[in-house]
Amino acid sequence: MTSAVLGNVASPRRFSLQRHYALLGMLLIAPTILIFCAVIVYPLITAIYLSLFSIYTPTLQGDWVGLENFRTMFGSPEFWFTLWTNIIWTVGTLTLQLLFGIGTALLLNQNIWFRSLARSLILFPYFVSTVVAVLVWRWMFNDVYGILNHALLAAHVVSMPVDWLGQMPNAMASIIVIGAWKYSPFVVIAVLARLQTIPQQLYEAATIDGAGVWGRFWDVTLPQLRDVLVVIVLLRTIWDFKEFDLIYLLTGGGPVTSTQTLPILVYKQAFGLNAMGTASTYAIGMLLVLLTFMLLYLARVGRGKESA
Amino acid sequence: MRRRPGDKSIVATVATWTVVLATIFPLLWMAITSIKPQSELFRIPPAFLPESVTLEHYRTLLEDTPFLTYFGHSLVIATSTTLLVLVLGVLGAYSLVRFSYPGRERLALLVLFTYLLPSVVLVLPLYLMMVKVGVANTLFSLVIAYTTFSLPYALWLLRAFMAGTPEDLEWAALVDGASRLGAFVDIVLPQMLPGIISTAVFTFIVGWNEYFYALVLVNSDSARPLTTGVMNMLITSFNIEWSLLMAAAVMMSLPLIVIFVFLQSYLTRGFAASGIKG
Repeated sequence: MTSAVLGNVASPRRFSLQRHYALLGMLLIAPTILIFCAVIVYPLITAIYLSLFSIYTPTLQGDWVGLENFRTMFGSPEFWFTLWTNIIWTVGTLTLQLLFGIGTALLLNQNIWFRSLARSLILFPYFVSTVVAVLVWRWMFNDVYGILNHALLAAHVVSMPVDWLGQMPNAMASIIVIGAWKYSPFVVIAVLARLQTIPQQLYEAATIDGAGVWGRFWDVTLPQLRDVLVVIVLLRTIWDFKEFDLIYLLTGGGPVTSTQTLPILVYKQAFGLNAMGTASTYAIGMLLVLLTFMLLYLARVGRGKESA
Repeated sequence: MRRRPGDKSIVATVATWTVVLATIFPLLWMAITSIKPQSELFRIPPAFLPESVTLEHYRTLLEDTPFLTYFGHSLVIATSTTLLVLVLGVLGAYSLVRFSYPGRERLALLVLFTYLLPSVVLVLPLYLMMVKVGVANTLFSLVIAYTTFSLPYALWLLRAFMAGTPEDLEWAALVDGASRLGAFVDIVLPQMLPGIISTAVFTFIVGWNEYFYALVLVNSDSARPLTTGVMNMLITSFNIEWSLLMAAAVMMSLPLIVIFVFLQSYLTRGFAASGIKG
């Protein structure tokens, strides 16, 4: 913002300085670019290259098979089933994250006692390690001694302890709920930040026009949140789609392969079945699916830059 | 019906705090379980508050398990990654914001693109690379791996912070005859300090919590960080000791608690500057 304003009234001296310093600028970014190439660009190209080989993981020896891996992948029912599971998980947990996140943000935007404490406590699940989250939930979900089964038994909701992670559809529902618990604080923060900038006059005008609580939400709040919600949905779709830790540590993709998502399939191919080439093919396949959302997000950010 | 702006709503307070407490209940339960004696743990039905408090599980954790070794590894890895990424990121962000050269905007978008790349795609080539170079199973290999997601993120965050600081002072110093790097050290760095702390906090937390790369790249106790180390304690134990694991989970969250208590504002600020706003 500032640089744009200054740019308009820039003195000739400033321009000459900028030209003079262009070289220094490139010098400063050079180490970053070097490391980028070594640890991101080169591995990315290698990943594509690997997907054209058949490689045995323990020896890392392999043969060129060309596009054979891709042909196998697209013909494999397991790939399509895993992709479908991945979509169910992503849509399910994202929907819950949005509902819970927006609801909580609206609550935290109210004038309440100890508001700042409440606002910081709600962030904890997001910043806590997935390993910590998984340990706690597995303990609460424990079939014999877990507090959840006790509470449900005591309330006569169930007559027998429920197996939360070992059978379907419980396993899928459980990971979706735990995913929502872990990641909705992201939605809370983003929405809350936007809520605080909505002009109070809009609500007053709506009230004068006779809008109730719901009317104000639908006609004022939601339209104002639209832009930030689009960004949240794009980012969270990307992040939820590629989630590995949470699902792998809760169910390992099971029972059998019912909660197996693409990242888990890649890991299993590479280190369970020792097929590193095939694993790379799956990874690239997953990247292709994600690319749509990544490009949408980049386009959005790029457009925001121009209008700013 | 209409309340004065300063008034607090009782109904909203109760509703909000119910939600907040329900959300953090799992973490409270973790802390409570970790200080319950083993005998109370398997009581049916379970009592919410422990009748007697014990630190026995913490003692076992620190004395009889490799927990402290893992803790040290995590500390070294997360700190090294943070330092490396900060040095590169501050210089890079300074370059991206305050200098103009061809390809600058495209480079910034490329940074964002790499920030969104799934680890699953990069992990296999990185694994091969580490094996080939001979650094597999070292702390160093994890620092390198963590750079793949930390550096794009830090660069993006620092770039946003840098763009938000006014450049007038810097120009004034230059006009007064300061060198560009002199102005950088005297003017830009102090202005950037809040942004740098925010970025450091984020990078540290993400490095501290990372699991996937650690799972793939390290399979010996000589370099295992907390995340995979503690999960290993769960998987390899014959008899799962939940109170011990809960103590481990609490200890593992200690740096996070410290950050929440002392650096909370930097956490919120970092959030505002990150990808949400673009």
